[in-house]
Amino acid sequence: MTSMIILILISLSFGLAALFLFLWAVKSGQFDDVERPKYRMLDDDDDRDKDKNKEKNTKSET
Amino acid sequence: MLKCDHCLLQFPERDAVYDEVNSVKKVFCCHGCQGVYLLINSEGLDEFYRRRREWTPGPVSSASVDLAAFTPNIRPLGSELETDIVLDGIRCASCVWLNERILMKTAGVTFARVNYATHRARIRWNPEKTGIQAILSRITSIGYTPKPFVATAFDEEQRKAQREMLLRFGTAGFLSMQLMLFSVALYAGYFQGMDVKIKNLFNIISLVLATPVMFYSGWPFLTGAIRGLRSFTFNMDFLIAAGAGSAYLYSIYEMTIGGEVYFDTAVMIITLILLGRYIESGAKRKASETIIRLLSLAPREARKLVARAEGGDADGKKILADRRMVSVSSIQRGDLIEVIPGEKIPLDGIVREGQSEIDEAMLTGESLPVAKRPGAEVFSGTVNLYGRFVYEVTRVGNDTVLASVIKAVEDAQTRRAPVQALADRMVSVFVPIVLFLSVFTAGYWIFRGGPVSVAVMNAVSVLVIACPCSLGLATPLAILIGTTYGASRGILMKGGDVIERAKNIDTVIFDKTGTITAGKPSLIDFHGIGRSDAEALRLAASLERFSEHSIGKAITSAEGSYAYEVVTAFSVLPGKGIRGFIAGKVAILGSREFVEREGIGRSMENGEVAFAASREAAGATVVYLAYDGDPAGIFAVSDPPRSEASEAVKTLKRRGIEIVMITGDAVATADAVAKTVGIERVQAKRSPVQKAEEIGKMRTGGKHCAMIGDGINDAPALVEAEVGIAIGRATDIALESADIVLMRSDLRLVPQALGLAKKTFSIIRQNLFWAFFYNAVAIPLAIAGVLHPIMAAAAMALSSLSVVGNSLRARVHR
Repeated sequence: MTSMIILILISLSFGLAALFLFLWAVKSGQFDDVERPKYRMLDDDDDRDKDKNKEKNTKSET
Repeated sequence: MLKCDHCLLQFPERDAVYDEVNSVKKVFCCHGCQGVYLLINSEGLDEFYRRRREWTPGPVSSASVDLAAFTPNIRPLGSELETDIVLDGIRCASCVWLNERILMKTAGVTFARVNYATHRARIRWNPEKTGIQAILSRITSIGYTPKPFVATAFDEEQRKAQREMLLRFGTAGFLSMQLMLFSVALYAGYFQGMDVKIKNLFNIISLVLATPVMFYSGWPFLTGAIRGLRSFTFNMDFLIAAGAGSAYLYSIYEMTIGGEVYFDTAVMIITLILLGRYIESGAKRKASETIIRLLSLAPREARKLVARAEGGDADGKKILADRRMVSVSSIQRGDLIEVIPGEKIPLDGIVREGQSEIDEAMLTGESLPVAKRPGAEVFSGTVNLYGRFVYEVTRVGNDTVLASVIKAVEDAQTRRAPVQALADRMVSVFVPIVLFLSVFTAGYWIFRGGPVSVAVMNAVSVLVIACPCSLGLATPLAILIGTTYGASRGILMKGGDVIERAKNIDTVIFDKTGTITAGKPSLIDFHGIGRSDAEALRLAASLERFSEHSIGKAITSAEGSYAYEVVTAFSVLPGKGIRGFIAGKVAILGSREFVEREGIGRSMENGEVAFAASREAAGATVVYLAYDGDPAGIFAVSDPPRSEASEAVKTLKRRGIEIVMITGDAVATADAVAKTVGIERVQAKRSPVQKAEEIGKMRTGGKHCAMIGDGINDAPALVEAEVGIAIGRATDIALESADIVLMRSDLRLVPQALGLAKKTFSIIRQNLFWAFFYNAVAIPLAIAGVLHPIMAAAAMALSSLSVVGNSLRARVHR
């Protein structure tokens, strides 16, 4: 019985963590443009420093 | 013909600009393209040319950017400045890549991200290192046009609604997945027995998980149902709210007496229907942008002539004035405006000084440029091609021809809006029946003398069972799969209502220029007079090498040897022809009247006139060549129909669809083209608004019309028709106004698109059948009071699975 309650709590916390991750993702605009990212991964990082800079900026965009 | 390495445009050799880039020889159609290529290359972005597929950026535009329009949009962000702009000319992912890279490589720009779906760029920069002007000119320098982004309240609202919907759906999805774990355990417990303590624990967890889904995710349904009830209508929202709500409340009641719970049913109804709505709304998002794009056609600034203090000549023959850039909205009727080659005409008016040729294709559909001399009328939004001229404004604001086209699109769009989904229509019948059955069940059990609690419970289970959660998926899922399949074959359908309307099309109306024909004139027939045909063509091509006119291009591209003669003292006389000297002797090419008067000083011989007349009857434009005072050749140029046009027409006719051709061109040209492709009904000389009116007439006559076109001049007709189809490389406005976009310029896609719509619709109908079928079986059992909770759950799952499985069939081609 106790072990089952622990397991239930673990599964619930996993589910809720996923939900909060999703809510954060929507609110931070991760779903605003769903077309472009699939091409973005094909782009070459020709100058890495600037790209890192860009990544940083994206995250702070929210 | 050569192909420009930047814009992929075909162009005659005479224009070629050669350059050597990284020791590879490159060829460009103009210095603009060369400049862009060099810039892109010097930034190390030549990768762009490898990643783009079919897209052609088109020659570089020299249009000036109205800086003042951008400044209100700039906002400070810490020590930096940020703005949103719309990039015109973005067609593919490579464009997004190129723009992002070129901006990031601009000194001072710290952030640049282009949204592929909305073409909107967000740019952040350090004001000490660069300015908005530098950034904008950087974008124009690679051939894209920046436009100020105007966030309308409506737009913002839509974006917010979209995001909120995703939040509601996501919440529902995650919570119902969790809830399902416990429900399955409870079902197992129902059969195998379960410890009461654990059962109670699971029931409570289920309740906790179901409550946010019910009241947060299901909130739109609850409010929608209440809104409907206030006006005494039972809508889809009511059915969902009643189904999910009664399952939820019933479960709470069962919990207190130790019975079985239905929480999973309640949350699944809401989750699946939210999924359906989310799919649907995504497809319709872009619809509202049409009118904004149309408005952006007209320039915002104009070069106004302001009389100097001492004034010009009183008789107005020569206008002495200063030129000043002013905003178009400040221009009054009677003002004088100067237009230089390549500029768009800002307002309607009458030419006062100078002459030119104007491309009016976007308004009239006329494929050849129109010559304008003093006294001729010019229209807003059309493009000045060759000469500089001054004109007097006669119509401003909402009176211009372009404004009337915009208004026609607006009108037709608002009239079309209330298209009710098929599922909604079925629901309007279904809901009252279910309500009646539910009340009937309660009455029946009370009449039989049973306890009131049993009667109420049976009535509620009718409501729960009757709410078909697969109903919410039946339509959107079939549409999603049907449209995705279509897209993979080059047919883009905008939304589900298109499929509903496209299925019963019985009349197809084709535009001529650019739709049935390729829109590019070519030389179809010619012969020399007093010399060999090849000799005559060589002379004509040598002369036409210097002309930008589409007839000239047709003649030059027909001459394959490139053995051009040297031409000196070349001049263009707009609307008449061209003149130059070859080997010291005058050569003239142009209309019959012009050549007779200027070139040979006498009339053409009867044989030549007959040749010309027969070609003109076949829809061609005929030009004459005179050399050294004698007639030297005669050339017929026309815009021939696409090779697959007659096949497409035949296929449509075989299906019993009536075909009409409608065009702005002259009757003779239209008839000739129609005859070649096998179209009997032709309507020529129609303005954009008249085209729409003709379609309106057919529709009031009970016809279901589909319009196929490519130009701005077709936009009102595309919107007016039940289904507007834009073909190939259509203008943006046509693309926005159309319901279906054919990605390839292949008319055979038209019958395919209509067939796909028909098939998808029949799948929707079958889906709706499956969605209702299991419920129809289960409802009598619920009324009889013998319904097992497990059976209800199984019926739910089965009906959803049938709908998904059946929808997948839309992918299989007939």
